[in-house]
Amino acid sequence: MKRTNKAFLTAVVLCVFGVIIYVPGRKMARKHVNYITATEDHPLLCTSCHIYKQKTGVIAKLINADYLSPINLTVSNDGKQLLVVAQDDNSLLIVDAENQKVIKKIKVGTKPHSVVLDRNGKKAYVSNQWSDNVSVIDLESLLVSDTLITDGGPAGMDISSNGRFLYVVNSYSSTLSVIDLQSGEEKKRLAAGNNPTGIHVSPAGKDVYITSRRANIAPYKVPLISEVTLVDDNTQRIVQRKNIDAAYLMENVAVTPSGDLAIFSITRPKNLVPSIQVERGFMMTHGIGIIDQKNDGRVVQLLLDEPNAYYPDPFDVVISHDGKRAFVSHSGVDCISVVDIDSIRALITESTPEELSNYSNHLGISSRYVIKRISTGANPKGLALSPDGKILYAAEMLADRITVINTETLENIGAIDLGGPDRITVARQGRRLLNNAGHTFQNQFSCYTCHPDTHEDGLVYNMASIGMGRNVTNTQSLRDISETAPFKWNGKNHTVYKQDGIRFSTVLTRNEPFSYKNLDAITAYILTGIPYPPNLQNNPVGELTESQVRGKKFFERSADNFGREIPENNRCITCHPAPFYTNRKLADVSTIAATDDSILFDTPHLNNIYASPPYLHDGRAMTLEEIWTLYGTDDKHGITSDMTKTQLNELIDYLLSLSAPEYKHKNSNVEHASFKPKH
Amino acid sequence: MRFKSFTIFLNLILAGIGSMYFVSCSQPTMDGMMIITQSAELMKDAGTSESSPGYAVNSQIIALDPQNLIETKLLTKDFKSACAPVISYDGKTMLFAATEKEGDNWQIWEMVLSNLKCRQVLSMQGDCIDPAYLPSGRILFSRLAEINSEKKYYPIYTCMSDGSDIKQISYHPHNNFASSVLRDGRILTITSSVYPEKGNPMFLALRPDGTKAELFYKGNSGSSILSRGCETPDGKIVFIESENGNKADGKLVSVSYNRPLHTRINISGDLKGSFNSVLPLKSGKYLVSWRASGNDRFGLYEFNPDIKELGNLVYQNAGYDVTDATMVVQSDLPKKLPSEVDMGVKTGLLLCQDINFTGMSKNTDSHISMIKLVGIDSTMGFVKVEEDGSFFLKIKADTPFQIHNIDDNGQVLNDSCDWIYLRPNERRGCVGCHEDQEMVPENRYCLSVSKDPVEIPSILKNVQEKKIELE
Repeated sequence: MKRTNKAFLTAVVLCVFGVIIYVPGRKMARKHVNYITATEDHPLLCTSCHIYKQKTGVIAKLINADYLSPINLTVSNDGKQLLVVAQDDNSLLIVDAENQKVIKKIKVGTKPHSVVLDRNGKKAYVSNQWSDNVSVIDLESLLVSDTLITDGGPAGMDISSNGRFLYVVNSYSSTLSVIDLQSGEEKKRLAAGNNPTGIHVSPAGKDVYITSRRANIAPYKVPLISEVTLVDDNTQRIVQRKNIDAAYLMENVAVTPSGDLAIFSITRPKNLVPSIQVERGFMMTHGIGIIDQKNDGRVVQLLLDEPNAYYPDPFDVVISHDGKRAFVSHSGVDCISVVDIDSIRALITESTPEELSNYSNHLGISSRYVIKRISTGANPKGLALSPDGKILYAAEMLADRITVINTETLENIGAIDLGGPDRITVARQGRRLLNNAGHTFQNQFSCYTCHPDTHEDGLVYNMASIGMGRNVTNTQSLRDISETAPFKWNGKNHTVYKQDGIRFSTVLTRNEPFSYKNLDAITAYILTGIPYPPNLQNNPVGELTESQVRGKKFFERSADNFGREIPENNRCITCHPAPFYTNRKLADVSTIAATDDSILFDTPHLNNIYASPPYLHDGRAMTLEEIWTLYGTDDKHGITSDMTKTQLNELIDYLLSLSAPEYKHKNSNVEHASFKPKH
Repeated sequence: MRFKSFTIFLNLILAGIGSMYFVSCSQPTMDGMMIITQSAELMKDAGTSESSPGYAVNSQIIALDPQNLIETKLLTKDFKSACAPVISYDGKTMLFAATEKEGDNWQIWEMVLSNLKCRQVLSMQGDCIDPAYLPSGRILFSRLAEINSEKKYYPIYTCMSDGSDIKQISYHPHNNFASSVLRDGRILTITSSVYPEKGNPMFLALRPDGTKAELFYKGNSGSSILSRGCETPDGKIVFIESENGNKADGKLVSVSYNRPLHTRINISGDLKGSFNSVLPLKSGKYLVSWRASGNDRFGLYEFNPDIKELGNLVYQNAGYDVTDATMVVQSDLPKKLPSEVDMGVKTGLLLCQDINFTGMSKNTDSHISMIKLVGIDSTMGFVKVEEDGSFFLKIKADTPFQIHNIDDNGQVLNDSCDWIYLRPNERRGCVGCHEDQEMVPENRYCLSVSKDPVEIPSILKNVQEKKIELE
C-alpha cells in the first residue's frame, strides 16, 4: 500500500473514530451538564460542573485573588487620615485622605471587624472577630502595640464617655466586654442581645446602646423580638433590655448629638407570612428603628423602602454633627439613604402611638423623611464623617474602595482606590451577586438578608410550597457546604445550580433568573469561598476537653449504657460521619410534623452547629438539648433515653465543639483567645 | 472548455452576491427614524374609556427622518386604517393594529423595518388592538370579547410572535387598553370596570402571566387616563390624563415609579390646550402630541419637563392629527419574569391577613365575621372569617369574583372590593379590606393557614386537580 494511501486511511479511521467518540460523548456531556445544572440549555462547560474547590495551592492562587474587603472605617481627629478595616486582608489600612492613597497596611488579627479611636486620637483599636481579641495600634509609630482579650467574636466598639473604658460587643458570645484601657484587662462582661454587633455611647454620656442582629430564639408562630441593650455608661450596668418587635438584623446604631434619638438599622422579615408573593412587601422590608428618649424611650420603626422600590440590608448609620441628618448605607442596593431627622421628630410628635405603629408597615411614609438616595460602588458597609462633617466616607466592601460624599450637595464626589486586585474573579462576582438584591423583584431582598455573613438568620420561614401554612423550614447556613449536597431540608436540590436556578427565581426572588454566567459565578462562590469561623468558644485549640472527649464516645458508641447494641442506622456516627458530619442521605428521625408533606429530611452537616439555633428542619428545638429532651424521646433520632443528664450534657458539649476540618489541629493559623504577643 | 464554463459560473455567482449586496445597501435604513400615526378623521376625543386611545378610521402610520422632516414615508399604504405602532426592543420590527379594508376588525400586524414587509400576526374574531412586545418574545394585546350576551369588554391576551398559543391573561370584567411593559417586567395597562357599571380608568400592573394584578395608579374621582403609560429613564411614568372627565382636555402627567399613587404631578403646568400622547426621549425631553384648542389638529412638539414648557414644533401635517410618536431605536429589555401559572391546576389560593384592617388601621366601627364571594352572575359561597380576621380560600381559577363583607349582625356592608381573579396555581395575599395600598403585611401567623383552604365554589371538590409537588 502506498504511503499516501496509508496516511489517507489513517486519517479516515481517526475521523470516523473521532465522530464515534464526539457524538455520543457530546450527548453524554449534555446529559451530565443538564443533570448538574437542572436545565437543558446551559453551555457545555467542564468548569460548570467541576469547579476547582481547593482553597490553597498554586491553582487556587491563580484562580482566586486576595481582596481587601473594607468593612468599617473611622477618620483621624485631624481628618487627614482614614483608618480602614480590610476584613479579608486581616489588616488596618491607613489612608491619606487628601492624597487618597494607602500609606500603611498594618496586619492585625483574623477577620477584623471595626475600628475606633481613643479620645485623644493617639491609639486605634481594631476588633478581630475571628481571633477573639482587639489589636491596639499606636498611631504615631503605626505599629500594633498591644492585644486585648475579649469574649467570642468581637465586633462593634466604642469608648466610654470618660475615655477610660473600651466597650466591645462580642457577636458570637452575645456579650459586652468592658475593657479598662489602663490595664488592658476585661473589667466586666455583660450579657447583650443575640448576636450583637452595633454599639454607640450617647454623646451626652449617659447611655450605651447595643444592637443585636439575631432575634431572640422563639418557636415558630411566636412574633419576632430582637433586643437593644441599654447600659449605663457610668455604672456599666445593664439598665434596660428593649424589645424591638418584628425586626432583626439591627447591624449598627447612632445617637443624635442631643441624645434625644438613637437610630439603628432594621430589617423587618415576613417569615410568619406565607411566601406567596414579593409584591406589597410580602417577604422583607427595611428601615430604621428609633428610640425616642424624650418620650420615655419608646421605640418607633420607620421603613426606608418605597412601594415599588426596596432598600435592603441597611448596615451602618451615622448622624451629622448638627443632628439634622442621618446617613444609612444599604449594602444590598449599593446606595446611601439620607434621612431628615427633623422630619422624623415632627412625624413622631404629630402621630398617635397607633399611627406610629402602622407606619412601621407603611411603604409610602419614607417620602416624609428620606430626602435623597446616593449611589455608591459595590456593597457599601461602614460609614464615617470627617471631623468638620463635610465629607462622608463609605467602605465599599466588594469594590475595595472608599466612596467620598459631599454632605452639603449630597453628591458622590469620587472614590479612593484601596489597591485591591483589579480583576474580578468568578467567585468575587458570585459574592457580589449574593450580597446584592438586584436579582429579586423590586430589589426586595438579597441572599445576605436571610443569610447574613453567608450564614443563616435563625428564622423559620413558611415557603408556601404546597398550600400555605405547611412545610415551614429553618434557614440553613451557606458556609462550607460544597461537600454536603443535596440541599434544602427535603434534599430536592442535588446541586447549588439547581438550588439557585429557575426554581429559585420562580418561588423566591420572583424575578428574572440569573444568567448562566451569573449562575456559574454564584455557584463558584458558594462552593469555594465561604469558610466557617473558628469555633473558639467551644474548641479553641483543636483539642477536646475531658467532657467533650466523653461526649465523643457517646457520639460514636455502638452500644447503650446497658450493653445493648444500637442498630447501625440509629447511631449518631452513621448519619453524621466526619469531616462534615453528614452522610448526605435522607432520613426519618421521627420529626415529621402534621404540617409537613415530606417524610424524609436531608441529614444536616454539624460543623459549627453551636452557631445555628434553632434546630431541626422546622426550628422547633430551641437548643441542642431539646432535640432529645423534647422531640427525640422515642429514640428514633439516635438512642438517648438511656443516658443520664450528665451524659447528655457531655454529648452536647462534644457537638458544640465541632468545627470545620481546617481548625482541627493545634497548629491552625487562626489565633485563639489566649493569644497575646509579647512586648 | 471545462475551465471556461467554471469561470462563467463563478462570475455569475459573484455577480449575484454583488447585486444582493448593492440591493441591500440601497434599502434605506429605518434606524433612528420617527414613527407616527396620523389621522384625517377629526379626533373629537383624545381617547375614551370605551375604545382604546388614538383609534380612528383612515389613520396611517408614517415614518419621518428627524433630520429631514419634509420627507415622509407612508408605511401602511396597503391598509384602510393603521395605528398604535410599537417598536421591538432590538429596533428591527414594528407591531401595529390595522384594518385592511372597511368593515374589517382591527387585527395585529408586524412589519420588518429593514424591508417594510408586513405579516398578519393575528386573525381573530373581535377587534385585536394595542399590541406590545413582551421581553419573552411573546406579544401582548387587548381583544374585544363577551362577558355575556349583553356586555362586551377588552381582556388582555398574549401570543407567540407567530400568532400561535393565544392565551387570555386577565379575567376581570374590565376594559384593558394601551398596555405597555415596565422595566420591572410587569404589564402596565389602563383598566376600567365595565360590569356591573362603568368605572374610571386607572393603571393596573400585572405580571405577563396575568398574576398579581394590582392597582398602580388611580387619579382623582372623575379623571380619566387617555394614553399609554411610558416609563422615563429617570424613573417616572408619564401619560395623558383628563382631570375633569373632559377628554378634550388631556394634561401631561407624571408619577414616580417608586410611589405612583401619591406622586402625581401635572407637568403641563398652565399650558392651555390638550395633549394626546407622550414619548420620553433619551435626552430627558418628551415628544408630545398637542393641540392648542379643539378646533386645531394635534401636532408633534418637544416638551421640556424640567421647566414644564412646550418647545419647538417637530412635525405637523395640515388636515391630520399627528399622534403616538415612537422611535426606531434599540431599547433595554425589561426583566423576564418567571411564571407561577400551571394550567394543569384549576385553582388559585388567596390569603387575606385581616379583613377588619381598613385604610391604615383596624376597623373599629364594625366587625366582619363572614364574607360572601360573588361571581359575575351568582353567589359563589360564604366563608367564615377567623378570629384574627384572616381567611384562606382556594378559588376556581380564571373566574372573576368580588368579596362582600358581612358583619356580626349579618348585615352585608356596602363596600365590596373591585373584581379579583386568580390564575391557575396563583398564590395571592392581601393585607386587609380597602386597606391603604402602601401597607405591607404585619409579620404574624394567620389562624386561617393552620387549616386547609375553604374551597370556592364548593363544587370544586369535583374538579380534577393536578397534584402539586413539594418544592
